[in-house]
Order: sequence, then C-alpha cells, then structure tokens
Amino acid sequence: MDEQLLEPVRENIYQLNLGPQHPSTHGVLRVLLKLDGEYIVEAEPVIGYGHRGHEKMGENHTYLQFMPNTSRMDYLSGLIYNHGYCLAVEKMCGIEVPERARYIRVICAELNRISSHLLWFGTYVMDLGGFTPFLYCFDDREQILDLLDGVSGSRLTYSYCRFGGVNRDVDDAFVAGARRFIARLRSRWVDYHNLVTKNVIFIHRVRDVGIIDRDLALRFGVTGPNLRAAGVAYDLRKIEPYEVYDRFDFEVPIGGKGDAQDRYHVRLAEMEQSCRIIEQAIEALPAGRFRNEYRYQHVTPPKGDYYLGFESARGATGYYLVSDGSRYPYRCHIRVPSFGNLQVLTEVLKGTMVADAISILGSVDLVIPEIDR
Amino acid sequence: MATNDALIEQLRTLVGAPAVTADLDFSRGITAEVRVTLAQLWPALEACRDAGYFLETITGLDFVDTNELVYQVNRYEPRCRIALRLLCGKDQKVPTVSDIFSSALWQEREVWEFFGIRFTDHPDLKPLLLPEDTDFHPLQKDFGKVHAYRRRDEIYG
Repeated sequence: MDEQLLEPVRENIYQLNLGPQHPSTHGVLRVLLKLDGEYIVEAEPVIGYGHRGHEKMGENHTYLQFMPNTSRMDYLSGLIYNHGYCLAVEKMCGIEVPERARYIRVICAELNRISSHLLWFGTYVMDLGGFTPFLYCFDDREQILDLLDGVSGSRLTYSYCRFGGVNRDVDDAFVAGARRFIARLRSRWVDYHNLVTKNVIFIHRVRDVGIIDRDLALRFGVTGPNLRAAGVAYDLRKIEPYEVYDRFDFEVPIGGKGDAQDRYHVRLAEMEQSCRIIEQAIEALPAGRFRNEYRYQHVTPPKGDYYLGFESARGATGYYLVSDGSRYPYRCHIRVPSFGNLQVLTEVLKGTMVADAISILGSVDLVIPEIDR
Repeated sequence: MATNDALIEQLRTLVGAPAVTADLDFSRGITAEVRVTLAQLWPALEACRDAGYFLETITGLDFVDTNELVYQVNRYEPRCRIALRLLCGKDQKVPTVSDIFSSALWQEREVWEFFGIRFTDHPDLKPLLLPEDTDFHPLQKDFGKVHAYRRRDEIYG
C-alpha cells in the first residue's frame, strides 16, 4: 500500500479572500483571512482599490474648487463632509456666516446623518440574511434624498455649502417635508423593532459578537458610534461644539460592553436624537440671508495651518489645512473615522468564526472610499 | 481650562518650555503645539498615551529644505488636541511609534508611501493605499502638478 495514504490528514491553516466583490464588504474592501477550520487566525484588510488621490487634488485645486471632492470621500454622509470643509476654510479666513445659513446647514447635515444610518441599518440586516427591512429603510431614506435633492440639486454627492452660507435657500415645502418625514420615521420605529430588534435570529447574530472595548478603541483611535457603543460619550458635536450644535438639546446615546448589538442600538438611538435636533432647528430657524452678500470665490487664508474636527456619521473626522497664503492649499489632509474603525478589526476578528466576521464587518459601518480617499 | 494643564506641563518639562505653545482660545483648532526632536518623540508620545490620549492622525509635510511630521493626539473629555511637530531631514529615518499607539501601524505606512519618510523598526512597512509595486511618493512636492514648493520658513516664519 502507498505510504502516503497511511499518513493522517494534517489540518493546515489556509487563506480565504473575503471580497473585494463580496456584498457585505461595502465598497471595495478585501480581507485576507487566515483560517483554521471555521476560525479566523489572522485577518488582514487590503485596501486602496478606491484611491483617487483626494489629498493631492486638494493641493491642485483652489479652496472652492475642492468643494465637490469633499462629498465624494464618504459618499453616504457627503453633506457633513461638505459642511466640515466649509467651516474649516471659514475659520481660517475669518468669514462670518449668517445665522439662517448655520441652521440650514445643521438641518441638512442631520438629515444626511439619518440617511446614512438608515442605509447602514438596511444593509447590515441584509448582510445577516434579512431582506425585508432593507426595503423599508430605502423607502424611508428616499424621503430624505428627495428633500435634499430639492434643496441642493443632487441626491448623493451634495456640494451644498458655500463659504459664507449655503447655495440655495430652503423653502416652506422643505420645512414641511422635513416635519412630515420625522413624524413618518417615528411611526416606523415600531416596525423596525418588531422586525429586527426583537428578532431572535438577529439577537443571536449580534450579541457578544465583535467586542470593541474602551481600551482597544483608545489604542486604535476608534471613534463615532463604535466608540460610543463601548460606553464613552465622545461626540464632537458635544465635546467640541462647532456651528450651532451647542444651542440644541440632544443626548449622546451610549452602549455598555461594545458588541455588535450595542453598536446597533446606539445608531438607532442616534437617529432619534438627530430628529430632535432637526425639530429644534426648524423651530428656531431665523429669517434673513442664507448667504453672505459677498460671494467668496478665491479665498486666500493667512499663512499657517488649521485643524477642524467634526462628527460625521461614522465618527470624528477632521480637515487639516496648511495655507501658504495663496489660492491653493499647501497641504490638505483629511482624518477619516473609518480608518481606525477598520484597523481595529485586525484585532477583533482574531479567534472569531467566518460567519461572525460578516456580522462584525457590517456592524462597524465602514465606507471604504472614505479610507482610500 | 485648568484640566488641560497636567499633560501640557509634563510636556513642558519633557521638551523644554519654549517648545510648547498653548492656545487656550483654540484659534487654530488645537489646544497646544509641541515641537519635538527625534529623541523626544518617544517619551512625549508615551506621556500622551499614559495620560489617556489617543492618536488622531499623523500627517507629513514636504518643504524644500525639510520634511515635517505632525502627530495629533486628543482625548475623550474634555477636548485637548495636542499637535506634536517633528522636523526631520530629507533622508532621515523616524522611529516608529506603533508600539505606543497601534493605530500608527497603518498611519505610518500611509505617510511612508505618500511622502517617502521611512520609519525604523516598523513591523510591516509596505504600501497601504497605493499598489504594492509603487516606486514613487505622490504627495512629495516634486510629483505631478504642483503650484508651489516652499521652504518651511516661508509659511511658518
């Protein structure tokens, strides 16, 4: 008999490519998994498929020309990125913004945050095998896209903010539409909780899965809902209030142990808080100009650098701009929250099962083009 | 903001008082700016970690006469963003800080591929966003279309 046939089967560690086309890798993420049976020994995210060189483009464009790029990094919360970029340049140049514009920006940014969370909610549940909630979420999200489309002219990559204001004023139809949307979304919570939150299959897929605790988050610079799920109330809208966020009464929802279930609950609770901010902002929306009389086109900030941190839908984001006094920034660096949120998975995925990896990847809400820039 | 003072005072004794500029008005988006030398980088960042700070971002800057690295650390509450600035020569290598902050593992890879600044003792220094066989550094100012290539003192005086 052949000697080889008598040798016992040796279990080897083998590699598996997750992505870049897997539906649960949102964008183009590839994770190189080293597996021992069903268990992950090592996970190495391979990124860069969506690298477009936004930071280099920032140096080649004037401050205003770079505006459309900002909403194409995190395409799910483009308006928040837009908003942050405007704030950074305005702070550098000392441009005053009319009160009405500041409220409009907050309303639109929060609507955008809800739409981003809704998309996450739908796709996450779809990753876990439930198709129906996805349709509900896209139905709701569509209402926001219509509202923002009406006011900014685009559905996804908004370039709505301008230095010293916003591009167009909001009308009564927008305000009424936003009110109607909030009432509608609130009536949906019951459906969402019945369909998903209390679903026993869902609970077993997310409870105690992918725990990111405070220490791990600190080491990897994890921010946003993923950090808040670990019980740290770190939200730049509260800690470092920019724009007019300090005038609104809202809470920062936090979780406990930082598993996928906590992240789920934090994001759901955040949508409700965004609704509260929008309601207050609509109530207090002042009359007046929506944009400065002077239209800033070629701004020349004074020499030096400026960092502006703001809270996007995924966490603490920041623009680091260096000006040499000309119309072009000397350096334009963007701190993106998904960077740390993805990197932490190299630790979290170790020792988990492949099926849980899908649940964990979905639960941290990654937008890969934001990391690739 | 008295609560900010502990770490900033500690950094003052570590790197010398003239190298620390505190800006409590937050007029440039940071609470304090600390100029560090190569030898001071590790102890300074270790002090930040021990005080409960996290590494927000590492950025490179390319000037005609020098490279510069900006390490930004922050903490959860209350806000206290500290920028540590390290001047490094064009061919100088910088010790990795990935043992202090794990997030530096990727951020240093990014700085290396885009600026060509090498980090010593980094366990896995390969391109992060660019293709694996890339042999150029796109954010260096002599690459592609560039509007101005300046000396550091032209901007920071």
